Amino acid sequence: MSLVNYATREITCKIVYYGPGRSGKTTNLHYIHGQVPSDRKGQMVSLATQTDRTLFFDFLPIDLGSISGFTTRFQLYTVPGQVYYQTTRKLVLQGADGVVFVADSQQRQLQENIESLQDLHANLADQGVDARTMPLVIQYNKQDLPPELIHSVPELEEGLNFRGVPSFSADALHGPGVFETLRGISEQVLRKLSAGRGA
Amino acid sequence: MIRHTLTVGWADAPLKRFVDEARLQVAILMHTSGQVLAQVGFQRSLDVQTACALSAAINASAEYLGTMVDGTPFRGLHYAGKGRQIYLGQVPSPDTMLLVLAVFDMESSLGIVQLYVKELQANIAASAPSAVPEEPALAENFEADLNRNLAQLFGRG
Repeated sequence: MSLVNYATREITCKIVYYGPGRSGKTTNLHYIHGQVPSDRKGQMVSLATQTDRTLFFDFLPIDLGSISGFTTRFQLYTVPGQVYYQTTRKLVLQGADGVVFVADSQQRQLQENIESLQDLHANLADQGVDARTMPLVIQYNKQDLPPELIHSVPELEEGLNFRGVPSFSADALHGPGVFETLRGISEQVLRKLSAGRGA
Repeated sequence: MIRHTLTVGWADAPLKRFVDEARLQVAILMHTSGQVLAQVGFQRSLDVQTACALSAAINASAEYLGTMVDGTPFRGLHYAGKGRQIYLGQVPSPDTMLLVLAVFDMESSLGIVQLYVKELQANIAASAPSAVPEEPALAENFEADLNRNLAQLFGRG
C-alpha cells in the first residue's frame, strides 16, 4: 500500500525482492546500499541467520528525491527464499506496491525459480491480490557465470516470464542490471500511482 | 493493492497529545504494513521508516505466532531495556488497524503508557477520515524526474 501525503507532498512505496534461496535478493540491496549516498538512504537492516541467510527480511529505505513535486521514498525489502520460510514471506509481502522477482540463472536452479514464482502468486492470492495487477519485473541474476552453467535470457524468458513483464539481465554482485531493475520496478509502481487506484 | 492514503496530518495532534500525557520520548503511528502516519521525536525520516519496518514485523509475527499457539493473535508488546522501554500496541481506526510504537524511560511507566493508549485509540477513532481519495497522485510524465533522480543516486547523473 503506497502512502501518499498530499499535505507534505510525500509518497512512500514498498518494493519486495522475491525469489528462491541464494538467487541474489540480498545482494541487490547490498549493491544499492553501496551506491546510494548516505544522506539518501537509511540503515540497511538484515535479520539474518548466523550463516548470513535471510531469516526474516532485509530492509533498505531510500530517498528518490522529488518526482512530479512529491518527495518520493522507496522501502526495499527482501524475503527469505528458503522453502521453509513460507510464513515470513507472506508477512513481508503484505502491503507490497511492487515485486522484483530475482531468478537464479543457473540451469540447476530452474525448478526452484518456477516453484518460487508459483509461491509468489499463491501468496498474493492469499492476500486477495490479483497477481496480474501487481507491478512486477523479473531479474535474471548471475548472468556473469560461465555460459555452460546458466540458461540464456531467451531460455529464461520462455520458462518464467509467461506474463511478459519487463525483465533484466543482471550480475548483482558486481552491479550490472541492478540499477536497471530498480528503475524498471520504480516506473511500474509510479505509473500505477499516476493512473489512480483503479488502474 | 495500491491504495492512496490521505494523511494531511490528522494523526499528528492525537499522537502529540499521547506523547505529552504519557511522557514519552518517541512515538510513531503506522499502518500494519509499516507505513508511517505520524511521528514525534525522530530527527530523520529514513530512521522512522526503519523503526516502522521492524515494528510491523514484530506485530505481524506475534499475531501469527499467537494464532498458532493460542488460537488468537498476540497483540501488544513491551520490552524493557536498561534505559529505555518500548510498547507496541494496536490502534483501531475506522477503516484499518494501526500500530503505535511508544518509547519511554524512567519518566513514564508501562501502566501510564497503556492508560493513555486507550485515550489515543479514542482520539484516533474520532479524528480519522473515513474516506480516502482516489485521484492520481503523480503527473503522467513522471519518468523524466524518476530517471534523473535514480541516475544521481547511482552516480550516473
